[in-house]
Amino acid sequence: MAANAKIGVFLCQCGSKIDPLVDLQALQGALQTDVDHCEILPYTCLQPGLESIMHAVAAHRLNRLIIAGCESRLMLKKFEKELAPLDLLKGQIDMINVRGHIAAVSEQTPEQNAAKAAKLIKAAVAEMHVMSPTAQIRAKIDGPVVIVGNGLAGYAAAQALADKEVDCLLCTDTLDADAVLRKVSDHYPGEGEQHPRLRRIVTAVAQSPRVTLMPPSELVHLAGVTGDYTLTFQDAQTGDSRQYRAGALLAALDAELVPPGPQFGYDGDSVLYQPELERRIRHSGTPKGKVVFWVNDHEIGMGEFDQLSVRAAWSMARHIRETSNLKTETIILYNEKMPVSLSSAQRAVNRKLKIAWVPYDQAVRPMVQDRCITFCGLKDHVEHEIDWDLLVLSPLRRVGGQALQTAKTLGLIHKPDRFLTGHHAKVRPEMVGREATYLAGSARYPCDLQETLNQGRRAGVKNAAMVAKAGSGELFVPRTVCWVDPELCIGCGQCQELCDCGGISVDAGAGGGLPRVVDPMVCTGGGTCAAACPYRALILQNFTNDQREARLAALANQLEHDDVVVFGCAWGGLPAADNAGTQGLKYDPRIHMIGIPCIGQLDPCVMARAFLEGAPGLLLLGCLPEECHHSYGVDHAWNRVSLIKKLLTLSGFNRRRIALAHADLNKPEEFIRTVESFSQTISSLGPIDRTAANRAKLAAMYDLAKNNTRIRALLSAVLRRPWENAYTGDQRHALEYDRDFSDALVEEFLQARLLGVLKAEKRPLGLTELSQALHEEERRVIEALMEMVREGLIASRHENRRPYFACVN
Amino acid sequence: MITLTINDQEVKARKGWTLLEAARHHGVDIPTLCYHEAVAPSGACRLCMVELKDGDWSKLVASCIYPVADGLNVYTETPKVQNVRRWVLEMLLAACPGSEEIATLARRYGVTTTRFATKSANEACMVCGLCVRVCEEVVGLSAIATVDRGVHKRVGAPYLKPTDVCVACGSCVTICPTGAMAKIFDTVRGEPQTKLTQLQA
Repeated sequence: MAANAKIGVFLCQCGSKIDPLVDLQALQGALQTDVDHCEILPYTCLQPGLESIMHAVAAHRLNRLIIAGCESRLMLKKFEKELAPLDLLKGQIDMINVRGHIAAVSEQTPEQNAAKAAKLIKAAVAEMHVMSPTAQIRAKIDGPVVIVGNGLAGYAAAQALADKEVDCLLCTDTLDADAVLRKVSDHYPGEGEQHPRLRRIVTAVAQSPRVTLMPPSELVHLAGVTGDYTLTFQDAQTGDSRQYRAGALLAALDAELVPPGPQFGYDGDSVLYQPELERRIRHSGTPKGKVVFWVNDHEIGMGEFDQLSVRAAWSMARHIRETSNLKTETIILYNEKMPVSLSSAQRAVNRKLKIAWVPYDQAVRPMVQDRCITFCGLKDHVEHEIDWDLLVLSPLRRVGGQALQTAKTLGLIHKPDRFLTGHHAKVRPEMVGREATYLAGSARYPCDLQETLNQGRRAGVKNAAMVAKAGSGELFVPRTVCWVDPELCIGCGQCQELCDCGGISVDAGAGGGLPRVVDPMVCTGGGTCAAACPYRALILQNFTNDQREARLAALANQLEHDDVVVFGCAWGGLPAADNAGTQGLKYDPRIHMIGIPCIGQLDPCVMARAFLEGAPGLLLLGCLPEECHHSYGVDHAWNRVSLIKKLLTLSGFNRRRIALAHADLNKPEEFIRTVESFSQTISSLGPIDRTAANRAKLAAMYDLAKNNTRIRALLSAVLRRPWENAYTGDQRHALEYDRDFSDALVEEFLQARLLGVLKAEKRPLGLTELSQALHEEERRVIEALMEMVREGLIASRHENRRPYFACVN
Repeated sequence: MITLTINDQEVKARKGWTLLEAARHHGVDIPTLCYHEAVAPSGACRLCMVELKDGDWSKLVASCIYPVADGLNVYTETPKVQNVRRWVLEMLLAACPGSEEIATLARRYGVTTTRFATKSANEACMVCGLCVRVCEEVVGLSAIATVDRGVHKRVGAPYLKPTDVCVACGSCVTICPTGAMAKIFDTVRGEPQTKLTQLQA
């Protein structure tokens, strides 16, 4: 609790865009008693306005500001920047979009608009009272940058780091340029042009005092957070394990190239795949006879990477023609779908060397036969044959063996994909503390050597910049990140399974039941993990549940009987509402928008609180499904909404009072249709009668959603995992789950209601009294009571051979 | 404290304010298009021109980037200023006939037709660069930039193809003064994978 919150509200006239449409004088009057300072300014955001705000903050010692003006998505950053000298941390300045959500979209009178604005601002004030900002933490990076993975990008990264005077530990088997070049073709065949560059890089790395060589061994465990990692490596042969400390990590992983399947006739002797041909040329010189390159990527099913194979084939064909004095014939057979991307200079070389390019009809698959290959000609649709002495196929590309193991240990596998995409949260860069790019190499996506080295260099430069920033004390931990309360965490690991950022790990050691820890430099602040925690041990800092509840409660308290609250996610609902405002589209004034970073961070207890405090309807408006900018926010919210729906039904209310929807920010008209359809539903349902019985039911709903670990655990256990498709066998039977879940809910809800009655009465009650109070059958009530006694929630004693029940404390 | 006059009215300002800020603070409205409070001003659209008079001399300046100074005589609605605005709007009307916002603004100044050659009838972008600036300054990404030069200049992602750099926050759509970015936005973020079926009206 922040008891010392001193709140200032600044009302922007925005020229004539707010003032005549919203009665700001009335609004100021309505707010006067709730806040420490309230002021109307012509433009809060212009220099004169900012100076007035600074002045007011100094004069009234304000430490929380609410600016009622326009879009926080655009303007909040300016306020934070301009008001930085006031020492207000992020979260201590809030904005209400009075212009876009009220003035521009409403056809009501200025007084009515002012009343609506007052509701929204008072809700924000309530949140500010609860908010206790965490301290600004500087991130520290202790120890060298460790480059794991034994990929070629590692050399480029090490060079970039060494150039910037950053110590690094390079996990590779050799720093001898010749040895490295001998192995290049295993992963990058036909890259002769890049060999001099690679040689230069490896030589530079070998000479640099900043780079320490670490013999390659398998990375088996990673512990700690950004700035302070402990890596455990295990030697495959001896089984010895060694530990290293690392300040930052960088993974250089190359894709594995393997021969394509037997259907292409690969035999390793006369039918080769590209890396093998290069090895053969190195060992036994240029082959004789007729070499046919079949660029069969489309037939392998990797058509999107055909250009890599085509370039490798051309480069090898060129080498063969040049070194054999045009004696060895070379032909490149390619699918008509494939563009031939040779530069004009390369085409000139091609003409001189007479390398034949033969396209084939994609409709008919070429057939490999002994010493010849048959295909359908493109021009005449006639079957043609080409003889060969050596047939060279494209390689199959995949993430294999050790690279896969390393990626797993580092938590780089996010999707059931063939390649490692790394985590790409679609959020603003300021929301992620660490450099996002720390994976380099063709395991990320198939690429050529040049791209790999560039990626490595880029990752090195960015990591060096991060280390330098940390060194000078300018690297800050983002303020909206999750934090695990070690007292409450029982180590169930739900959050870790849900987290798509890869930011949650076990603090130390391995095994079950160990408390989790959040890497604040990786966390994007999505918060669905926090909403899923059965024990509420995971807290989204500076955007806590308590804050949400306070805001929602304050708003719901003031609502009319057919008003609705709409939670708009910052990537869908909120910008759609903002855009409706900028376009001046009119819609139902009963809609009250609250912005939230992600719909997934709404805890079910926050939803239940809305009804408890008197909201007739609650709409959650997320971004497009499958486009969640954090991870599966809408999908997770879906489950939570369905819990509230079930509870509403159990309480005898209409389940349509809560709904989940999504909005595209670029389609404000559809946003309006969505919210108006919901508000019509609510006005047709009418208000929830505020009888004592109804209130007791709503209180039980809230208590259950907030404190019942059984229900919360059941709920989060079925949330969709990022890698759900990878383990289909793990799926629950949807219907069975729903029935079990409903049964559990019926039990727990009755218990919650009983507990509510016992708490309220504060005296032992008999069975008949209880069942009459709840209008439930005695048989069901006694079952629930016995269960509660067994669990130690209540105590029972007998008087005159009749049982009486009371709260334990 | 700096003292200057705006439309013959004496007003106070502080060092660091622009003419536009001083005028708006004192309730004088100056129309703008390429100006937005969230980003640094660029003075591109020339709609916010005001006249500075000094005896018989006068000059027109863009108020959004012109700093206040002691003793300036600023006039925001002289015939000279209005003439320039009409010219600007007439040219904008030709450049972006597809923009409802520009047409509305032009009508306010009595401009309904244009004598210049119009671009394609659907063009709404006036290339003011607000979207590019907000992406760089507020979002911190630079997913979009102006592409090409001169009359061919337009807004887009590299190679005018959807880009992974874009996080689809929609700041550019919200800030766009002409409504053009709504159309460009889908070419930057890529069509949403989930096809939204059109809701029935």
